[in-house]
Amino acid sequence: MTTYQFFTTAWRWNSTLLPFTALALAGYFLAFRRRGRPAYLGAALAIFLFALISPVNALANGYLFSAHMVQHILLVLIVPALLLLSLPRSFSLPRPLLALTHPFIGWIAGVGAMWLWHAPALCNAATTSSTVFAIQTTSLLLMGSVFWWQVLAPRDAERLSPAAGIIYLFTACTACSVLGIILTFAPVSICSVYQQPVDRLRMLGTIRGDWGLTSDRDQQIGGLLMWVPMCLIYLTAILAQLARWHSDPAPARGEI
Amino acid sequence: MNGTTATLAEATVLDVDEHWHHRLAWLSTVDHKRIAVLYLLAGLFFFVVGGIEALFMRLQLALPNNHFLQPDTYNQLFTMHGTTMIFLVIMPLSFGFVNYFLPLQIGARDMAFPRLNALGFWLVPFGGILLHFSVLAGGAPAVGWFSYTPLSETPYSSTLGVDYWAVALFVLGIGSISFAINVIATVISRRAPGMTMRRLPLFTWINFVNAFIIILALPVLNAGLAMLLIDRQLEGHFFLPFHGGSAVLWQHIFWAFGHPEVYIMVLPAFGIVSEVIPVFSRKPIFGYEFVAGSTVAIAILSMSVWGHHMFTVGMGRAADSFFAITSLLIAIPTGVKVLSWTATMLGGRIRFDVPMLCCIAFLIQFLCAGITGISHAVVPLDWQTKNSYFLIAHFHFVVAGGILFALMAGVQYWFPKMSGRMLSERLGKWAFWLMVLGFNMTFIIQHFLGLYGMPRRVFTYPDLPHWAWMNMLSTAGAFFMAAASLILVWNLVVSFFRGKIAGDNPWNAWTLEWATTSPPPHENFDALPAIRSRRPLWDIANPDRPDPVVGKDTSEIESPDKNKVGILTFILSEAGFFAVLLLAYLFFYARPQPGPGPRELAVGRTLVFSLCLFASSFTFWRSEIAMSKRHRGSMLGWLALTIALGGVFLIGQGIEYWKLFQTGVDVSTNLFATTFFTLTGFHGLHVLFGLVALLIFLWLAWQGDFALGRESAFAAAGYYWHFVDIVWVFVLLTVYILPLLR
Repeated sequence: MTTYQFFTTAWRWNSTLLPFTALALAGYFLAFRRRGRPAYLGAALAIFLFALISPVNALANGYLFSAHMVQHILLVLIVPALLLLSLPRSFSLPRPLLALTHPFIGWIAGVGAMWLWHAPALCNAATTSSTVFAIQTTSLLLMGSVFWWQVLAPRDAERLSPAAGIIYLFTACTACSVLGIILTFAPVSICSVYQQPVDRLRMLGTIRGDWGLTSDRDQQIGGLLMWVPMCLIYLTAILAQLARWHSDPAPARGEI
Repeated sequence: MNGTTATLAEATVLDVDEHWHHRLAWLSTVDHKRIAVLYLLAGLFFFVVGGIEALFMRLQLALPNNHFLQPDTYNQLFTMHGTTMIFLVIMPLSFGFVNYFLPLQIGARDMAFPRLNALGFWLVPFGGILLHFSVLAGGAPAVGWFSYTPLSETPYSSTLGVDYWAVALFVLGIGSISFAINVIATVISRRAPGMTMRRLPLFTWINFVNAFIIILALPVLNAGLAMLLIDRQLEGHFFLPFHGGSAVLWQHIFWAFGHPEVYIMVLPAFGIVSEVIPVFSRKPIFGYEFVAGSTVAIAILSMSVWGHHMFTVGMGRAADSFFAITSLLIAIPTGVKVLSWTATMLGGRIRFDVPMLCCIAFLIQFLCAGITGISHAVVPLDWQTKNSYFLIAHFHFVVAGGILFALMAGVQYWFPKMSGRMLSERLGKWAFWLMVLGFNMTFIIQHFLGLYGMPRRVFTYPDLPHWAWMNMLSTAGAFFMAAASLILVWNLVVSFFRGKIAGDNPWNAWTLEWATTSPPPHENFDALPAIRSRRPLWDIANPDRPDPVVGKDTSEIESPDKNKVGILTFILSEAGFFAVLLLAYLFFYARPQPGPGPRELAVGRTLVFSLCLFASSFTFWRSEIAMSKRHRGSMLGWLALTIALGGVFLIGQGIEYWKLFQTGVDVSTNLFATTFFTLTGFHGLHVLFGLVALLIFLWLAWQGDFALGRESAFAAAGYYWHFVDIVWVFVLLTVYILPLLR
């Protein structure tokens, strides 16, 4: 398959995710009517679909570790953040879920989502079994939401103070960078499925030849994606915290 | 200083001992102002040393095919010049200014930990002596300030030069970390009422952020130095390729420290410029929030750009592109700063006194440095110019054209406050213009030399067209710089004794250091003005149009306990140190070498001893509870149990080591052994330090006088103890449990 053919045909238009997102959209408008911020929801769903039905997904499904990493970052950092932003300001969590809003749990969820799913066994299982993949996708979205809740919770009072938020984000960024550094410089394959892909789409020749992505280079790019662009996402969030800190004329809690 | 002398002169009844003490007071001082002056004097002294080394090199390079210096002497000189200027000149000078003015700017009486401050300073001369002692011990290091392996390994550098270099940098690194811990603790817990974090002067804010870079970057270097020393002294194999080690790993470790180090040096300079430009433009800084925020962005980005020092190493195209992007990105926050400074000057009533002149020169020269810097982020261009004089020109534009000029501005700006006397403007202008002339003569031409193909790090060169006159011009420029430095020093000496009396606030500046006498009294302030904005002295001088109040109009601030802040920052730096050792272990674990491996280790026995260590965290917690309930006996008991459990763990480690030695496995056996002993050995050492600290507490508690006021110190020791246990969780998982999963 050539590159052009691949990018035009590798979309999963028959996926069950399409009706699912339509349902989610309908549910959102039923629940919040005009109080929500639907632009964020639209962006979240569009990126969610892009990660899971576009050629990125086809590549992540056994061909390229780096494509898997793009998917991973979108699902754990971008989509949950946009989802939280789309909630109306008055939204609050049901009681049983309040236990999840402790900063420690949020941090563990955010960093754990990165580390856990890159343990070799789990990484391979998620690529070969569609059940595990579904579990992975769901858990990434949930853990990402728990992580971002500390920073992007709808009510300002439920967010961390800007200084604490900066520490929270910076330490998470460091913890993920360490994983990125390990993946980048690891002399062995972390996710061995990607080393000898099963060539279902007859794309391997194009990927290895035309694109020049050997499995070593592929893993390196994956590690670098986790290290650098991900850090930039955290950095953006940190700058947003600084902006919030400096724009706040009278902080609710004690000024430090 | 003068204040102290005056008091002593009034009380003329000093006996012989007290006279001695007074004279020795500069050696035993814990006053931040005196320590700062010592930092500055040490920096100035080594500036002369490093400058003379540079002059010798320029003399050698003045003519083609010159034989003024031997090749090896030349290599030693450029190694010592680089190391001296970075670790013994720029860092001590910046630390000196921070030490003097950061506490004054936040209205504090002293740094949070005065004795730690003294330790930090005295490690500078100690490190300097260690470094220079190598000259007597068989020759200075001749491997460059970056000390690339395997050149710096024993087979290629057999004298002790590299060992002294490594130990000296280790010592200086510890000094820098202790300084940074002190800065963070001071800013967080020693601010005057009303001085909220949002009202910090930019010099203080920037150096506060800078302290975090120090905390995170220096431990990486220290871990690398420890590994290099283990290679050299104990025949380890970390960086020796023919035993499976990785020479490139050293480069990664060194530049993971080395690039943030550039910002560690340049941020204090940014801080000085951010103070001087507004004062001499008679306007508040333009975009305070942007200057403050961009500092944070620089701090974070600086951790992920080190690869641009290694484009020519062969990391692969993928890695090169990512590092090129981050390196280009970091130009944005730096550019934001330059824009803010320029916009501050725009429309201001600029006073062209020497501090301002230095800042203007800084702006122009630093901009040039930034532009050539961006050119080095472009990989193909970097390949062509990296090993040429173009790069020498680039980074001397950063460190000399940028940082040195900012430090000169700092000297001119703050000398009146430190000495009570003004520097001579006339001599200052001579020094400034000579320095501008000399600096640009020396280094502008080196860009072209580099583009004409002259390689760096060579002791001489053939007589190719244009090379000779360009080099001669550069050497002549270096002597102008030397003349400028002499005038600067002369100005300092003459003005100290005969300068015009400065008064409290000669520049009509707005930050708190100008609210006290020049020089400030021992306790810094008699009374502090009200702090409601970022320019308290402006508010006093212009009560009818004060600055808008920043944040909530309050004089109450939270000041967290300094012991806890101090120990947490220390733990942060220790975490960085162990992270590097753990990553090195994993890196080599992934490529097993012949010989002993993890299967030699006794997992079961170690688990038992590990439980003892983990239990000791619990017993310590019990001891803290007993202390808060004032149950002295119970507290002593739990503490003794904690120490005993820690001791048992160490015995367990001893048995493990003994068994391995019995089977002939030691550090030099293979890479597994090298990494294993390094990682567990350093952890064991930390357990030992923790035990010593706990024993001191046990002894103090035993003595009885141990109740109020010491709780936070006890809790701080507890944080450290828990941290040592947590590190062991990671070591245990990596070294003992991971192989079981294979």
